[in-house]
Parts: sequence; structure tokens; C-alpha cells
Amino acid sequence: METEAGTSKEQNAINTDTNPFEIIEQKILALAQARPKGITDKDLIIEMPELPVKERAQIINKLLSQGHFDLFKQSGSLLYRLKDPSKAKIAKGADNEEKIVYSIIEEAGNKGIWIRDIRFKSNLMPTQLSKILKSLEIKKFIKAVKSVAASKKKVYMLYNLEPDTSVTGGAWYQDQDFEAEFVDVLNQQCYRFLEKKREQMNSCRGGPIMARNVTFASSKEVWKFISDLGISKVKLSVEDLEMILNTLVYDGKVERTLSSDGSILYRAIEPLLDSPGLIKSTCGVCPVRKHCYDIGDVTPTKCQYITEWLE
Amino acid sequence: MSVICRKLCSSILSEHFGQIVQRVAEDLFKHDARPLELICCTTHLPLTKIKEALCVLIKHGFVVYGQTERGLEYSLIHQNILLILRYPKYMFFVKTMCGDESEMILEEVLMSGYITASEVITKTYKKIEQSPSGLQPSVPVLKEKFELLVKNQFLTRSLCTDTVEEKTNEKPDFTLPDFNLAAVIKKIEGDNNSDPGDSKIYWKVNFDRLIQDLRDQIIVSAISRRLDENAGELMRQLLFLMYLRTASWAHTSNPIPLTEIKEAVKKINYPLLAHHLDQYLHLIEEDSSQFLKRVGESGGHFCVNMKEAFEQLAWATLENIVTERFGSKAARIFRLVRDKKYIEQEQIQQLAMIPAKEAKHLTYTLLQENYLQIQEIKKSGVSAAPIKTFFLFHIDLNLVVYMEVQHCYQALYNIMQRREYEISSNKRMIDKQLRMQTLTTNLKEHGATEEQLAEIADLMTPSEKQQLEKVQNTIKKLGITELQIDDTLFLLTMYLRYH
Ligand code: SF4
Repeated sequence: METEAGTSKEQNAINTDTNPFEIIEQKILALAQARPKGITDKDLIIEMPELPVKERAQIINKLLSQGHFDLFKQSGSLLYRLKDPSKAKIAKGADNEEKIVYSIIEEAGNKGIWIRDIRFKSNLMPTQLSKILKSLEIKKFIKAVKSVAASKKKVYMLYNLEPDTSVTGGAWYQDQDFEAEFVDVLNQQCYRFLEKKREQMNSCRGGPIMARNVTFASSKEVWKFISDLGISKVKLSVEDLEMILNTLVYDGKVERTLSSDGSILYRAIEPLLDSPGLIKSTCGVCPVRKHCYDIGDVTPTKCQYITEWLE
Repeated sequence: MSVICRKLCSSILSEHFGQIVQRVAEDLFKHDARPLELICCTTHLPLTKIKEALCVLIKHGFVVYGQTERGLEYSLIHQNILLILRYPKYMFFVKTMCGDESEMILEEVLMSGYITASEVITKTYKKIEQSPSGLQPSVPVLKEKFELLVKNQFLTRSLCTDTVEEKTNEKPDFTLPDFNLAAVIKKIEGDNNSDPGDSKIYWKVNFDRLIQDLRDQIIVSAISRRLDENAGELMRQLLFLMYLRTASWAHTSNPIPLTEIKEAVKKINYPLLAHHLDQYLHLIEEDSSQFLKRVGESGGHFCVNMKEAFEQLAWATLENIVTERFGSKAARIFRLVRDKKYIEQEQIQQLAMIPAKEAKHLTYTLLQENYLQIQEIKKSGVSAAPIKTFFLFHIDLNLVVYMEVQHCYQALYNIMQRREYEISSNKRMIDKQLRMQTLTTNLKEHGATEEQLAEIADLMTPSEKQQLEKVQNTIKKLGITELQIDDTLFLLTMYLRYH
């Protein structure tokens, strides 16, 4: 350290309390982070020309021994690649089982994994596994997240990960509860918007195709309308709104088309048919039809549904 | 044939032709084809009665006969019996196309099964004379109307003959009738010896034509609903052009050149359509209903796709039924499964955006009621992991349509039962009113005074009158419902015919 007074002075000027060695360490780590594919000695020379070879080797060795880097050989030169910091930590002071469980959980990414699946993959006894999970949880390597898919199921994932929307449910969930009413309101409002657009069709004088084209709205337009309404407490993304618009497609009220520029367009449509004659009759929608015979308690002649309908 | 369909046919026959015909038909239902002696054996009816009944059934095309090694055997064509439900619709259609007299002629032919031209004209003439419609009966006009019906192919020559061997020409024959007009007039005036000269040349209703017309109406009105009146009219023209070049009931039309469409549209008075023809064709073609396809290299030809059209219409019908029976959220799930073809429960609740519990409940209700099917797929993962099982939901369209057809049968049967019950439990009063009506007409003919007529009208107490009115309304309402149910039945039958 003393040998490189120039550098350390410089560094000290910025942060006097820090060990100059550590500052270089940080620099190298930052560089490695910026290049997730790994850095070579050459890169280090270019980035830090004033760093002597010997010191560089010392620092690299230290970082390697601390488990910050994985070492690779690539076309004749050495490549240092940053290890996941949390993983680096677990390398120290963890037993093999913990490491296995950890890597299983890591593999699951931000979708998480159920305890049962961990057990199958690790072949550990349930009691042992829960102990390991507890320990990892306490050390803040992993966390348990309640999944919206099934109310009582927890999934495990690495501590620093943001759970996937399939786990949290995204904008439609508040504390794992699906906000059905909110969705319904949005569904209605989106439809109202598209219906209004459809009404403009009647005043369009440019021919039938033009008249149809005024009924189209891009998801972004609808999104803007909803945002301006201010009915949502949370900030919705355009994708969130596309989910809602798709429910309208499944309601048969709206059609989705891809425009030539790749954006998704929606428009309100008229169904092909009026409600069919069958369901205008009581027997079309009757809840006890399967029990309705010529004789017995439920018969067409005694039928109360028909009587009421006739009134 | 399902039990409910049999019951429905049976009750239709009983209503229109009485108990004996019904019993003979029931016997044929149960035993398929069989000779006269065996029918006699099981029904315990007198032979003459059975012969009469068979005669009626054959005349209307419900029973056919054929020579087998066991002798002459009779068998039932139950689909034709169901056509009776649609008679009022056929009559209405013909009325709008060819006018009142034509409707009356058609009605006579429907009631007789088959009949000669001179006879039907005579009958219709007399009916017009008696009816209060204000029409003036005229033999030449009726002949004209009859010919119009033949030209439109609503009537066709009946090839029914007295002996079995004579069956030769199977093609529908629309050769115009030739008979002595003067002789018909003489006959109407009471000369029973005059011979119009067309005996044994029988006519019957060409149901195939009428069924196609009702089918086309559905297509046209669907397009009118989806797009607008102009598009609907264009669709109608396309269907006309389809007839010119395509066998009936073909799945798709042969290509129709754009030039011909242009010609056709020019001839009708739809200026907006003529002006924007290309755009309208484009809209129908682009619509998700897929009724029309552009074909050929140059894109100057169009094909009407009947098969696809009825698939879309069947879907629309089923979606409506699901909505009405299980609510809009269930319909959302139904459409979602339709769209994805195969889908897991979890995806259903996510994409339909319905709370997990409710989504599950609805999905399983639809499954239980057979609107959805479930398929199990086993997928073995990595060696140690257990075999993963996926449950995928899907829809078997043919099955659901078939199920709804049965549903229509049951609904029709039930409503008919109820209507009969309402009639029979008010029989006394209905009869009384009928008697009074005949009495009034008779007296009027004999020049009765207002007072006398009022006296007869007073035979019914106000409360009776009220009750009668109520019953009549009930019967009418039930009758209308039957026609509505038949609309659905017709559409679904059309789907099955193409698929
Ligand atoms: S008759 Fe009445 S009970 Fe029977 S199916 Fe119809 S509505 Fe239901």
C-alpha cells in the first residue's frame, strides 16, 4: 500500500477513512458487476492503468479467496466473473444440505418453489428440511412468500428477489386477496369507453370501413382514459389494462385485432345473434329440468315456473 | 333417437292427427321397420284403422314403405315429424314472399300432404270465400299464385304413387301444372262431373327449399346485426349467387366472381351498398364470423362458407345459453376455454380474472353439466420427480350441440304438455265459445237481428269471458314459446347437418 502513495493519496482525498486497498477492491467489484460476462486482466489494465501488476494480483487473489469471483479460462486469458453476492456468503459457514436447498431455491427464480417440490428435489426428510429452511430464512438468504395461486401455499425464493406477478397477482391483489370488484369496475369502464367509440360510428360519413375504423382503440388509449378517470389507487400499466380488455374479449363484447404497426387494437362488437329462443322459455333455464317428468313432483302441468311466467 | 325426441314426435302426431295415428307411429318407433300384420299384433287396433293411419302418415311423408323378403314393410322418418313444428314459419315466409293467397294454398298443401293443383285451388277458393279477410276469390289469380309457388320451388311434384313399383324419377320436378281452368270454375260452382284433367298429378311442399330459405334468413340477419343492413343485403345477394353455381347443402359455394356481385348489387336499390361494395365485401370477409372468403390469385372471387358460418352461429347460441343459465362469468370461462382450446384451471382464473374460488366453482359447474370436458395429461419429469398430471379443460362442440338439441326437445315437449293441459282443463268453456261462434255465424247468415246476436253473446257471463280470455292468452303465449324454442332447434340442427 505504501508503495502506491500516488493512488492512495488520490483515493484518500475522496474518502479519507477508507483503506486504499479496499477502494481498489470496490472498483474492481463495480467493474465486474457492470460486466456480468466477466473481466480479464487486460480489462483491468485498461480501466486502472496506474495499478501495479503485483498489487493487482494480490487484490484479485484476495477477492478470489473470499469467494467473490469465479475463475474461468477463456481463449488463453483468465476471466474473473462475479459470483452472486448472497451465494458468495453462503459459501462460508454453510453445510452441504443448506447449499443444496439454497441452490434448488435459487433455481426457481422469482416464481418461487413449494416446500414439497424442494423435498422431492433434495430428498431430505421433512423435519430436516424445515430446519434448514428456517435457518436460511433467519440468515435472510431466502424468504417465504404467500402465493395467490393457492391461499395456504407458501413459496420460497431468494431473499433479494422481487416475486413474480404470478405469485403476487400483480396489481389485482391486495395482500393476496383478489380485488374482484376493482376488476369488475375496470371491466365496465373499459367497455363504456369502447362503446362510446362505437357510437361515433353513426356520425361517420366516410364509408363503412372508415366507420369501422373509428371504433378501434389501442390499449394505450384505453389505459389513458382509465388513468384520467382516477379510479385506481395503484398505478396500472398498459399490460395490466390489456388483461382487463381481454376479459371483455372473453365476455364476447369486444374484439381484439393486431394493427399493422404491431399494437393491439380493441373495439366493441355486436353479437351475431339475439338471445336464442330456447332460453326465452322457462324450460330453457330451468334448474330442475333434469327432474321434470310426466309424473312425479315436478311435471310440466304442475310447473310453478311456467305458471309464474304466464302471470 | 333419444327417448325425449320420441315423446315429442309422438305428442306432435297426437295433436295434429289424433290418437290412432299416434299409436301406430309409436309402434313403428319401437320396432323400426315392420309389416302391417305385426303392427296389428302389437297395437291391437282394427286393421282398417291402422291402414287409415298409415295412409295419413305416408301422405305426409312421415312413413315410407319398401318391399323386403318379409313383405311390405313400413318405417318412420321422425325428422319429418319435427318439421310440423315449423309449419307456421314456412307459411309466414311464403306469405312475405308470395302474398296472402299463396300462404293459403301452402297451408292447404301442408294439411293434405299431397294434393292435385285443381283440388287445392278449389279448396283455397272456398276458404277465401268464407274468410273475413276481404280477399276476392278468383280462380285465375289462384292459378297464378300456385304457379308462383312452383316457380319459387316451394311446391314440387309428389312422386307418391299408388303402387310400389312405379317409383322412378327421384329428382324434384317443377314442371308447371296443366289443367282445365274452366273445369275448375265449373267444379267450384257445383258441377261435380267436370274434370280439370290433372288427376293423379300430385303436389307436395318442397321442405328442402323452405329449410334452405330459413337457413339463409339466419345468415342474413346475423350479418345485418353484426355489420349493418347494407351488409345483410349483400349477404343475401351472395347467397343468391351461390345457388346459381353450387349444389344445395355444399359446405362452401363455388367461387363467385366480383363482376357478378357488382351486377347483382346494381339491380337492387341499395345505393350505399353499390357505392361501397368493395368495402362491404372487405368487412364481411374480415369479420371474425368468417362467412365469406376471398379466393383466387387476383382476389376477385368470393366463397360463402356455410359450414363455418353455422359453426360460428352454434358457438354464439351456446355462449348465450351458458350466459343465461350460469351467468356472465361462467360464459367468460366458456369463451376462454373455447379460445385456448386446452387450458388449465389456474390459467382460467388468471385470464378470466375471476377470484380463484368462484372460478373453480363455475368451471366445475360447467364440467358437471357437460359444457366442458376434462382431459388428463401425464407428463413424466426428471427421473426422481413423480409423474406430473395436468388437467386440461376443453369443449367438445358436437357433444354440447347434441346436448342442447335434446334440451330443445325436452323444452318443446314440456311446453306442449302444458298447453294441452291448459286446453283440456278449460275444455268446457272453449267448447261453449265454439258453439256460440257457430251459432252466431249461422244466425247472421239467416239475417238475425242485433238483439238476437246480443242475446247469444250474453250466454257467457263476464267472469267466464274473462277466464276465457285468460286461457286464450295462455295458449297463445305457450304457442309462441314453442316457435321460439324451435328457432334454436333449427339453428343447431343446421350446425349438425354441416358437421
Ligand atoms: S316444465 Fe317447469 S319444471 Fe319442467 S323443465 Fe320446464 S320449467 Fe322446469
